[in-house]
Amino acid sequence: MTKLNKNSTVSQPNDSTASITEIVTLGLKKRHRKEKRFKRIGLSAVLFGFLLVVILLGDITSKALPAFHQHWVKLDVNYQASWLNIDENSTKGVTESELAQANYRNVLKKSLYQMLPEVKGRSDKRKLAQLLSTNAEFTLKDSLIASPSLFDKQAQIWVRLDDDVDSYLKEAFPIGEAGLRLNQNQAQWLAQFTTSDRIESRFNFSFFTSGDSREPELAGIKGALMGTLLTMFVTLLLSFPLGVAGALYLEEFAPKNRLTDFIEININNLAAVPSIVFGLLGLAVIINLFGLPRSAPLVGGIVLTLMTLPTIIIASRAAIKAVPPSIREAALGLGASKMQVTFSHVLPQAMPGIITGAIIGVAQALGETAPLLMIGMVAFIVDVPSSIVDSATVLPVQIFLWADSPERAFLAKTSAAILVLLTLLLIINLTATVLRSKFEKK
Amino acid sequence: MTTTITESNENTSGFTKNLNLDKHISRRFNEELEQLRTLVMKMGALVEQQVNDGLSAVLNADSKLAVKVIERDHEVNTMELEIDEYCTQVLARRQPAASDLRLIVSILKSITDLERMGDESVKFGRNAIKLAKGNFAEEEGSRPLVELKHLGKHVSETLNKALRAYAEMDVEAALDIIKNDNIVDEEFDNISRLLVTKMMENPREIKNALRVTWCARALERIGDHTTNLCEYIVYLVEGKDVRHSTIEQIKASMSN
Amino acid sequence: MNAITLPKPAKVNEDNQNDLSQIEITETVGNIYADDAKMSIRNANIYYGEKQAIDNISLDLAKNQVTALIGPSGCGKSTFLRSLNRMNDTIDICKITGKFTLDNEDIYAKNLDPVLLRARVGMVFQKPNPFPKSIYENVAYGARIHGLTNNKAELDEIVETSLQKAGLFNEVKDRLNDPGTGLSGGQQQRLCIARTIAVSPEVILMDEPASALDPIATAIIEELIDELKEKYTIAIVTHSMQQAARVSQFTAYFHMGKLVEMDKTEDIFTHPSHKLTENYITGRFG
Repeated sequence: MTKLNKNSTVSQPNDSTASITEIVTLGLKKRHRKEKRFKRIGLSAVLFGFLLVVILLGDITSKALPAFHQHWVKLDVNYQASWLNIDENSTKGVTESELAQANYRNVLKKSLYQMLPEVKGRSDKRKLAQLLSTNAEFTLKDSLIASPSLFDKQAQIWVRLDDDVDSYLKEAFPIGEAGLRLNQNQAQWLAQFTTSDRIESRFNFSFFTSGDSREPELAGIKGALMGTLLTMFVTLLLSFPLGVAGALYLEEFAPKNRLTDFIEININNLAAVPSIVFGLLGLAVIINLFGLPRSAPLVGGIVLTLMTLPTIIIASRAAIKAVPPSIREAALGLGASKMQVTFSHVLPQAMPGIITGAIIGVAQALGETAPLLMIGMVAFIVDVPSSIVDSATVLPVQIFLWADSPERAFLAKTSAAILVLLTLLLIINLTATVLRSKFEKK
Repeated sequence: MTTTITESNENTSGFTKNLNLDKHISRRFNEELEQLRTLVMKMGALVEQQVNDGLSAVLNADSKLAVKVIERDHEVNTMELEIDEYCTQVLARRQPAASDLRLIVSILKSITDLERMGDESVKFGRNAIKLAKGNFAEEEGSRPLVELKHLGKHVSETLNKALRAYAEMDVEAALDIIKNDNIVDEEFDNISRLLVTKMMENPREIKNALRVTWCARALERIGDHTTNLCEYIVYLVEGKDVRHSTIEQIKASMSN
Repeated sequence: MNAITLPKPAKVNEDNQNDLSQIEITETVGNIYADDAKMSIRNANIYYGEKQAIDNISLDLAKNQVTALIGPSGCGKSTFLRSLNRMNDTIDICKITGKFTLDNEDIYAKNLDPVLLRARVGMVFQKPNPFPKSIYENVAYGARIHGLTNNKAELDEIVETSLQKAGLFNEVKDRLNDPGTGLSGGQQQRLCIARTIAVSPEVILMDEPASALDPIATAIIEELIDELKEKYTIAIVTHSMQQAARVSQFTAYFHMGKLVEMDKTEDIFTHPSHKLTENYITGRFG
């Protein structure tokens, strides 16, 4: 290196300039290669993850598809008065209460035997009757009450088939396979029905409209869905305002002393507590001490609120911290009070981040099972809950229960329920994205 | 009448030290101001030379020297233009403030006065040629010439002192010169009277007498310009504009 | 105006002329008091924890005049400016002593609400910081929170007048509902000025208002400051000496937390009295 003195020029002699270019050029190739390799690895990791997601969704969807359609059979039903056990010679005519209390099981069986007169013998006949769903008789009842003119007449009524039959028709296993509960005769009768065009597959609306049931063909998720929605409602209602207010206080108003530090540490730790502990808390304090009804969305909501609160507070604090101090200074300089600065400027600007945090928290709570089990939302609830103090269950618990059942049909229903849960998550995320972009535009 | 102004070392001259010319963070700016200082000193030296040579040409009837003086005025004018241009550039590029600003403003004014001194010297030269033809100088002991010589010496010494003071930024010396401004005026009046008497005595010598008068007037003007230079020195160093003030007023304001 | 009395500048030992820290600033040189003072500061000391940022400063802000505060980085000018509208209150470790008055009222009195003070003493910051709201909302915000008006018509008028005064109205009158952050840097700063004037303050503090702007925007802001001084008292912190020379009537030179010299701007820039001031202005020392 030449020393800098008054008479020398600053630039290097020509040959060393050239060599620097050479050195850099050499290294350049290596650096580009490294970059390309890194990009390739990154891309393949992303693709791999994407592939796994696709596989997962595909698997679930394919398993869930059978749950969305059901097989029905068209029966020639004879609403004979004697079968209905109604006195046809009564002068008054047939009353509604009589219709309601009639013996539809008899009608069902007799009509069925009439359709296949070759079936003889008690055990065979019982097997025939088992082909139909247990609520077939109620279908007959509803049909007659809907159109009383059918009394003592013949009609063709569609009824559901039993879940075993449904599974058999869907999967077409040969008779005698493990897990299938049909015998040769039943298969034959079914074949007869099929050839005479009496069997059709319909979309399973009852999956969405009815509550849980022991019979797979009748089981639906409405109860669980309502329970989830009610619980989410309570959770959001409680945790969002509390979480945001807590974050605002800690960031903007709390004095910097030991107490505040203590609170902060505890909040951060709470985020890592296993969720089942919150369930225990719910059981011991909220149900036993405060006496709130067990298994209610209200209690579930409170427990999930406790769980979600730390997440929302932490995310909100980060969003609030990210608001540039120049905005606060500008507002203060104009003579705004602390409250005005916080609510007119800091909060709206932190909204996108806060909403993201809230959504993460709620989505987490959506899939929680353990704490809700502890407070009793695991019971077999048939009725659809209509308020936050009715007994209810939630989707994840419902999935858990169905996954436990032996019937083949419940397998499809479990997957279908998982799909519904994922769809719910997707809707929540989309709502969050829309809300976020609305706030960012402002 | 030797001058040692341009010989003074850059680093120790009072001009540089008293004005802190070399203390700017921008080294280039320091160099520019030094360059300016050098140019102004050179011009001052040249003008002093012109004055002395012009005077000498008159007193010794030296036509050759007179011609040289007349021709050399061209150099003086060139230097004025050069320094003027240089100052304008410094103003444009540096936006000087405080003492730097006063420096540029003073230099711009000073070179005008120096250039005028140069012009007066040309008058000496012209008159010297004419006087030489007329053999005016042969009259030894001629009173006006003696007086002229005396006045010339005074003005020349004063100019030398002023240029030294300028080189050293010596306010005390400058004030001294300002104070003695009226001496030149008195001497000029003397010479005028003498020459008028002469003209009345000997009408044939009117032309030459007038020429001598004009030389005296030129000296008087040079004296005024010298005083101006000193006023600029005070302005530069003290930040006070002392033009058109009496010496008492100047002293009073400076002691506050 | 009477002749200015100037104490003799400090004699400096030639050996350590380069070492600024050796130069003792014992008292402020120049004219620090005004006959007609809008704000007065006496013996102000400001500490950040242990560190002293401002050391025994006294000066006046003359009414309807522009006072420039100049000095090297870290000399405390911004700190001092911020203490004039109690913006330093937000910093816990900042301790302020001394007397600060606005129209002879103590602004640090216990029962004086800083919110009220800041409605009378507005501030414009170095980096334009319009709210992420519409242009209209930006200007209306101050008027709104102080309850200066009740109906929309009056508010509209306040917004329009403020934007006019800030020289921005013609450029934005067709897009008052567009976000304030969509304007150029110079326009944003003028918006911030409009926002400040909408509250009708009496004093405007400006902390390097044009430092982030290009020369044309800077010139527009300087012109604006010149017009604003008819109605408001202005104090401006600036790093550009030429700006201070162009824009202000009085200039105060700060150095390491002390007020070295304060006087009329033309005097400071043609013949400053203190050697430190001279050095700073002519670029001899930082």
